[in-house]
Amino acid sequence: MSRGQAGTVTLGVALLIGSLHVRAADDARQIVEEAQKRTDAASQRYEGLLQVFDAKGKIADKRWTFERLGSHGRSKAVLRFTAPAEVKGVALLVVNHPDRASDQWMWTPAIERDRRIALQDRSTRFFGTDFSFEDLEERDVDQYDYTLVGDDAIDGAACWKIQSTPRQSKSSQYTRSIVWIRKDNYAFARIESYAKDDLMRRLNYADIRSVQGIWTARQLEMTDLKRASRTRLTLDKLEYNVPLKDEDFTLQAIRRQ
Amino acid sequence: MRARAALLILAAALASPSALEAQTITQRGFADAGLFLFAQAAPNDPTREVADLLAREEIFVKPAGWLQFAAGLDVRANSHDQVDEGWRLDVSDRGERRPRLGLRRLAATITRGALTIDAGKQFIRWGKTDIVTPTDRFAPRDYLDVVDPEFLGVTGVRGVVQAKGNTFEAVWLPRFTPSRVPLLDQRWTAVPPAATAIPLFDGAAVLPDGSQAGVRWSRSGDRVEFSASFFDGFNHLPNVDVRPAPTPLGAGPALAVSRTYPSIRTYGADAALPTRIFTIKAEAAYFTSASADTDQYVLYVVQLERQTGEWVFVGGYAGEAVTARRSSLVFAPDRGLTRAIVARASYTIGPTKSVAFEGAVRQNGDGAYTRAEYSQARGQHWRATISGVAIGGRESDFLGQYHRNSHVKASLRYSF
Repeated sequence: MSRGQAGTVTLGVALLIGSLHVRAADDARQIVEEAQKRTDAASQRYEGLLQVFDAKGKIADKRWTFERLGSHGRSKAVLRFTAPAEVKGVALLVVNHPDRASDQWMWTPAIERDRRIALQDRSTRFFGTDFSFEDLEERDVDQYDYTLVGDDAIDGAACWKIQSTPRQSKSSQYTRSIVWIRKDNYAFARIESYAKDDLMRRLNYADIRSVQGIWTARQLEMTDLKRASRTRLTLDKLEYNVPLKDEDFTLQAIRRQ
Repeated sequence: MRARAALLILAAALASPSALEAQTITQRGFADAGLFLFAQAAPNDPTREVADLLAREEIFVKPAGWLQFAAGLDVRANSHDQVDEGWRLDVSDRGERRPRLGLRRLAATITRGALTIDAGKQFIRWGKTDIVTPTDRFAPRDYLDVVDPEFLGVTGVRGVVQAKGNTFEAVWLPRFTPSRVPLLDQRWTAVPPAATAIPLFDGAAVLPDGSQAGVRWSRSGDRVEFSASFFDGFNHLPNVDVRPAPTPLGAGPALAVSRTYPSIRTYGADAALPTRIFTIKAEAAYFTSASADTDQYVLYVVQLERQTGEWVFVGGYAGEAVTARRSSLVFAPDRGLTRAIVARASYTIGPTKSVAFEGAVRQNGDGAYTRAEYSQARGQHWRATISGVAIGGRESDFLGQYHRNSHVKASLRYSF
């Protein structure tokens, strides 16, 4: 999970799932593993609308298309901007790994070049949004340790409240995250990410619906607590298990428009 | 004719019933109006205000998952005679002036498994460093504005095979595309005040007929990325020859300036190594030539890169080591920016605003330039940018010779 949870925060991930008939588990790792298992899909595609609200409430809209092949720590994803017009074609390739941070490359058509996003640069905001490059990763459950810290309710839904800490501390800008997982369907409801004791970002999941049997949040809102700005991502035309080819998730592929 | 035939083939392919069923079409474009205000007149160019207009449209069509066509067109206008008069579609873009109507790209991309082939007019970029990129041999530029050059497309075939972390690339260009050099009667051709009495005439360019080729192997590991490349072709930057020009009886002396593009071979390498604080990038190329009047030299760059918060920093050193000095006069901005400390920084103020700074200082202090830029978007389509460029130094230095060209540029762009 990105910033914390097993493959979750990831935008691809963010689309968590659950089921109405699940057995409860007390063990934090089992809960997260179950949540991850329920989001497994061979592939995923959606069109995203990003609305960035700065501290004064001004909005900047961006749109992207997102395609992912595989799930969690064994997946590749391509995210390509379609609006505003001046950033059309800008693309990000994310290659996730089960045992370490992802590899990321960005293609900028204006200069016809790709650039690898170094690990130490992943805390940077992604294209003026409140998501950082790291938030676009999809990490495996095994990259974190978990502690069940209690029960809570988000939007009236009962949740487990779990703390996750990255096993390789240098691989993340966050030292720990608190994750809320709904008890009724194992969908993620909220993630708060900390750097030491400072709360850095809060990700809220909303409009959770079953899409092809996978409980998925159709709206995610990331708040940057330091900047007092937030970015709302609304997922449209979401599909799972669409036919995608491995060759469309390469550096050569993101050069194509 | 060849371009027209290519356009017809492209149109036919796109119009076929099977293609229309599955094809996806995307486009991007913009119209950009810019105004340059120069602080002072140049000895050979008293014009201090220049207006420029560029409209660009690029279309990408995918008739099938394995096939893509790309086409792009530029339309230009300029108040200072930097654009050709005629409306003929310029496919090759090899003229002295920018074409009024130019084909920016026209290429087909075929993908089969790990193999990708691009054929046609396209952009090919090699190398990892910024500001100076010694291995970027298939990327001629338009130097009508020396400190803000645009890339020119090249015509040829590029094949790429990607196998796990390895990428093998081969390029073949049957036709040479030179960089566009500054116009003789304009300020980016620096003429010392004492020489302004002698008229300069364009003695034309001798463009080589042969083809060019190059291969590159890149390795992308868990941490480090590196490449090795070889290029066999022509330098897209010219050697310059200045000779007395024949003049009518009784007329004063005049000089004819001609350009030749020497054959060269380059052996290059580049690497990027992320560390805990910076990403270290290095790039070098050894330029050799069989031509008796062409230098042999090594260009190299070492730079550090870091993104932190809203800042992006790039800074480093570009160097040159001449192993055989043979030519007396060249137009070589790549070499002109070496033996220098180069740096770039940008800061994102908010979702719609940013500032950027860029600069280069020659190590002997003989030349320097710096640029500051503020840019702000409005809505989904508009962006206004204002930038200031300051250049200083001695006449004998590549950067310093442009010390009369400090300017402010304001531009307004509508993207669609």
